[in-house]
Amino acid sequence: MIKNSLFKKTFPLLLFIIFALFINKYNTFAANTQLHIQITPLVSCANGIREESEQCDGTDLGGQTCVSRGFVGGALSCNADCTFNTSNCTGGGGGGGGGGAPALETKVVIKGKAYPGSKVNILKDGKLDDIVKADTKADFKHESSGITPGIYTFGVWGEDKDNKRSITFTLTFQVNPNMITTVSGIFLPPTISTDKILVKKGETINILGQTAPKVEVDVHVLSSEIISTTMSDEIGAWLLPFNTESLEDGAHTTKARSKFNNQEQSGFGSLITFYVGEMTALSGDIRKQSDFNMDERINLTDFSIFLCWWKKSNQQFDLNKNGIVDLPDLSILLSYWTG
Amino acid sequence: MKKKKIKIQKNLRENLKLFLVIFFMFLFFVFISTKDVFAAKLYLEPSEGEYQSGETFLVEIKIDTEGECINAVEANLNFSSNILNVVDFSYGESILTLWVKTPIVDQGSGLVSFIGGIPGSYCGRISGDPGESNQLGKIIFRTSGLTINESEKNIAEVKFLDSSQVILSDKLGTKADLSTQGATFKILSKEGETKDEWREILEADNISPEPFKIEIHKDPQAFEGRYFLIFSTTDKQTGIDYYEVKEGEGNWEKTVSPYLLKDQSLQNVIKVRAVDKAGNEQIFEIIPSIIAKKPFPYQIIVFIVIALMVILMIIRWAIKKLRNKK
Repeated sequence: MIKNSLFKKTFPLLLFIIFALFINKYNTFAANTQLHIQITPLVSCANGIREESEQCDGTDLGGQTCVSRGFVGGALSCNADCTFNTSNCTGGGGGGGGGGAPALETKVVIKGKAYPGSKVNILKDGKLDDIVKADTKADFKHESSGITPGIYTFGVWGEDKDNKRSITFTLTFQVNPNMITTVSGIFLPPTISTDKILVKKGETINILGQTAPKVEVDVHVLSSEIISTTMSDEIGAWLLPFNTESLEDGAHTTKARSKFNNQEQSGFGSLITFYVGEMTALSGDIRKQSDFNMDERINLTDFSIFLCWWKKSNQQFDLNKNGIVDLPDLSILLSYWTG
Repeated sequence: MKKKKIKIQKNLRENLKLFLVIFFMFLFFVFISTKDVFAAKLYLEPSEGEYQSGETFLVEIKIDTEGECINAVEANLNFSSNILNVVDFSYGESILTLWVKTPIVDQGSGLVSFIGGIPGSYCGRISGDPGESNQLGKIIFRTSGLTINESEKNIAEVKFLDSSQVILSDKLGTKADLSTQGATFKILSKEGETKDEWREILEADNISPEPFKIEIHKDPQAFEGRYFLIFSTTDKQTGIDYYEVKEGEGNWEKTVSPYLLKDQSLQNVIKVRAVDKAGNEQIFEIIPSIIAKKPFPYQIIVFIVIALMVILMIIRWAIKKLRNKK
């Protein structure tokens, strides 16, 4: 009887917990879902409309005739590759010609949001390809022309007004020949830092960074999974004074993401650590450790130095401290890649 | 009548309770089955097929990150070396751009292995991508030309070894929970002309590897602080076959990056040649900075100044002595 009553009381609670866990689990995957690739033909030959680089298209001859092409008469027509067909023109001969099929090029366009006025680094297959500047609305655009069709990995990272770097956002996709491949919806996660590393329990720690202007920023303080929300200002700067009263003594981490509207949001950015009470087991900055030649960039040079220590024991290159330089260390190095 | 109504209501309540229990149990099991399982799958495409004896065919090694982001892969595969011969390995369409170990084939033991990475991370196919963009490489097999009996001997297998691993790009080096799917091929006796898909691909590739740069570096943590060369490029069609380096008037020498320079005085022009599987090449050369911009000879200047001062002092001393004599 008691058992039955206990079951009746706890059953709805149990259902609620399971449901909440389920919802929470799947919420974590709803990051940067607006990312999309659009493929558009660079020149649409045979669409019946004569574009700038075409001599003709279907019946659209651009006002040209056999006579204007240097012949006496006859009927000018258009080839399948949008060049003139003069085989039915009579007399005269020659002249005109030239041009041939328009040279088509393959192009990649990358568009997204970073931080207002920030420098956005574009990497192509891990190497720095271009640095573009975001406008006051944080929008940036990069174009790569004349590239060879194939599989590419593009990386994007930005630097905020305080020279804090974002994570590197990477995209792997196929580039088709003679097409414009436009990747849109890249939203760099907010940069994040704290004004202190160590605070006494109950003290306020300021969590701050930069994102796009006038957007909502979700700040997660982990270990207690406290989610707070703040708004960025006109230049994208955001600040969250966070009271540590509810936190236990020890190490805590925090991360942030931006919400542009109900559908669009960035993924989470860097995870940073702060301490309440006493500083315990300082983990060190693995990003800095991965910059082996200390040139403020993690690129092919660091990778080359890393290769010299592959499968050997060396504290500096053994980034996960498992006693050997191996695949997990390569993964950590690549996670901090700046090109 | 009233009793019957109450009974129906009771039954409905019981059924609703049962339905809710089943529904939430389902959610619970879905939650449990996915909790903290960061999975990835390595698989082969095609996973089955029938080929004639002496025929050449391609098998793609692919990855499904199952919603996770990864950036480092080690793949070790075993194949039936008595029936299949590995003709080549192509990584022209691979998502891996940095190679710790370029694909190595051991025909005798029937092993293929490679280790590579992606700068940043790879999180699967992006919406709207015209390709699948999940290939790690392609093994080109040729079936042996032996007479095939109608027995188990005509079944060839390709499978991933347990030593294969995929690492999540979580900045912690966490290993993904890996599942694999190999392939089984039936080899038939030869009937007429056999296809060679790989040769057709090689013949169609007339594009050189991507342009690249070479850099000279010196770091106390590599090659005992001596000068070394770094270079890397990709070929989007058949993939890079090899690199060659030439120092000054020396011979072209097959090598990999990083390359320890023989001429540590940096007095020679250095050339690097990247050659793809079809034989197309891309050459880049570098004139070491010491040649282009010789350092200002401060030591010689200091020596000359000191020598002049000493000479002047000697002359002054000699003149003084002569005057004193007079």
